[in-house]
Amino acid sequence: MRLLVRILTIGLIIAMAFSFILPLYWMLSGSFKLQTVTMSLPPEFFPENPTLGNWERLFTGPWPVWRWVLNSIAVSLLTVFLVLLVASMTGYGFGKKKFPGSNILFIILLTTMFLPNQVMLIPLFLLVRTMGLTSTLFGTYFAMALPIIPSPFGVFLVKQFCITIPDELLDAARIDGASEFGIYYRIALPLLRPALAALAIFTFNQSWNNFMWHMVLATDKFDYTIPVGISYIARTPAFGKMVTDIGLSMAGGTFGELFMIIFFLMFQRYFVKGITFGAVKG
Amino acid sequence: MQESAALRRKIWKHRGDYLFIAPGYIVFIAFMLVPLLFAIGLSFYKASFNLSAREFVGFLQYRRLFQDSVFLKALVNTVTYTLVIVPATIAVSLFIALSIDPLNTRVQAFFRAAFYLPTVAGGVVLSIVWLWILNPTYGLLNYFLGWFGVEPVSWIATTPHSFWAVCLVVLTFTIGEPIILFLAGLAAISRELLESAVLEGASNFQITLRIRLPLIRPVMLFILATQTIRVFQLWEVIFMLTQGGPSNSSTSLVFLIYQTAFIAARYGKASAIGVVLLLIIFVVTLLQMRLWKESDL
Repeated sequence: MRLLVRILTIGLIIAMAFSFILPLYWMLSGSFKLQTVTMSLPPEFFPENPTLGNWERLFTGPWPVWRWVLNSIAVSLLTVFLVLLVASMTGYGFGKKKFPGSNILFIILLTTMFLPNQVMLIPLFLLVRTMGLTSTLFGTYFAMALPIIPSPFGVFLVKQFCITIPDELLDAARIDGASEFGIYYRIALPLLRPALAALAIFTFNQSWNNFMWHMVLATDKFDYTIPVGISYIARTPAFGKMVTDIGLSMAGGTFGELFMIIFFLMFQRYFVKGITFGAVKG
Repeated sequence: MQESAALRRKIWKHRGDYLFIAPGYIVFIAFMLVPLLFAIGLSFYKASFNLSAREFVGFLQYRRLFQDSVFLKALVNTVTYTLVIVPATIAVSLFIALSIDPLNTRVQAFFRAAFYLPTVAGGVVLSIVWLWILNPTYGLLNYFLGWFGVEPVSWIATTPHSFWAVCLVVLTFTIGEPIILFLAGLAAISRELLESAVLEGASNFQITLRIRLPLIRPVMLFILATQTIRVFQLWEVIFMLTQGGPSNSSTSLVFLIYQTAFIAARYGKASAIGVVLLLIIFVVTLLQMRLWKESDL
């Protein structure tokens, strides 16, 4: 009886895993199907006459897909760099130093974690527009990174991780005459590496999927990031009619997610660490 | 007088420490606090593309919002989305986590990755393929439902199906994180405790109900808080699938903010909607904090 329940549960879980992955498989296989096949029933679960036409249209269409990849990578790396810089220093300050008001200042910072980002986007948009930030390439990248740079989660994560750094180590360096900044830079920072890696992955993913803000800022097709670009392709009617080019959409979607999925499979450990940090004791 | 002088001396003594948190605080003030105050200020104005021509209108935007049927629809929808998606997410992810917890580490890691993949792909990419799956004539979902004798449903274009279609698609990528969190919570439960319960003759179901669930309550509250905030900010799937339609039946507050601010350029009204959303999230978070306190997290 117990065994039967066990087998049934596992069967159910496998079925669920399949159904959660099915959309991704459907997209991948759809990217190799002809338009007539994508619109016919019964559906082909394995493309019988696979075509590369969709991928060809994706790469030769009137849109710079590789440029979008470059934009996404550049924006995400810039965001990660700035977040690590700010969060590691601030988190270290809160984690390893006791000064008047440190508790209340930390709590104020932490509560901003609950602010809905979209409220700030309106003023930030007006600010970016007034300053004309998007007129240069680097300015555009910087503007796209802006709303994510203050990372209360990052500060929290680094502060928590500082507990693992023994105070004696820092004091020993102080006795040896190291400057406070030198202690942070030479001793604390290397020890914080696991936390910073998890934060970097988390931020990279967050920046990559920052859809609304990127879409609002990018007025030129060359400034699109990957999600903005592929959503643009998917929403553009094809064949001169009000029909979506399904095969092309699927090729675009597959292309768009490919980088993030490879990235995830490479750094899975850090993804898990970033998610569970602070939420689970022990 | 003496105290404040002592405090000032103390602060001065620690001046180096403040330098460490200064970059963080400057960034927070510049890119979070100031924009937030600016948005609150803007909500008392009528402001359009030409910002210098703005006009002070007091609470007019707010008064109008609560007579605006589209806003009220978005408000009700946002709450309903949360009430549907968050419990469903917790139930499904808890079931999956409890089922794969006893498996060995490798198999567990495999399932964890499989269920997390949709989250990695993100709402935009998933919506693209779901648009095809949900198609009324040649979509996969209606095809599968046809096996059970269900008539084809026009998922995107009819009420209330578009609302449920959004819920379904969102659910496919909200469960990834909670599964990982639940699994970590379950793994932290001491083995000895579970073994002694088995020795005393407790059934698996009893162990889950009496030991596992109470012990992962803090994790569950954390998931409840983060997922609630996330679903309150739901918009990308709506943008990709339904554009809020048909006739605003699937719209949400954040989608409305997007439309009002970045399509219609009515910054005052959009800010007012934002402030309402902010207040709702604030109140809900406070309520949940009480729950946290009770379970001394």
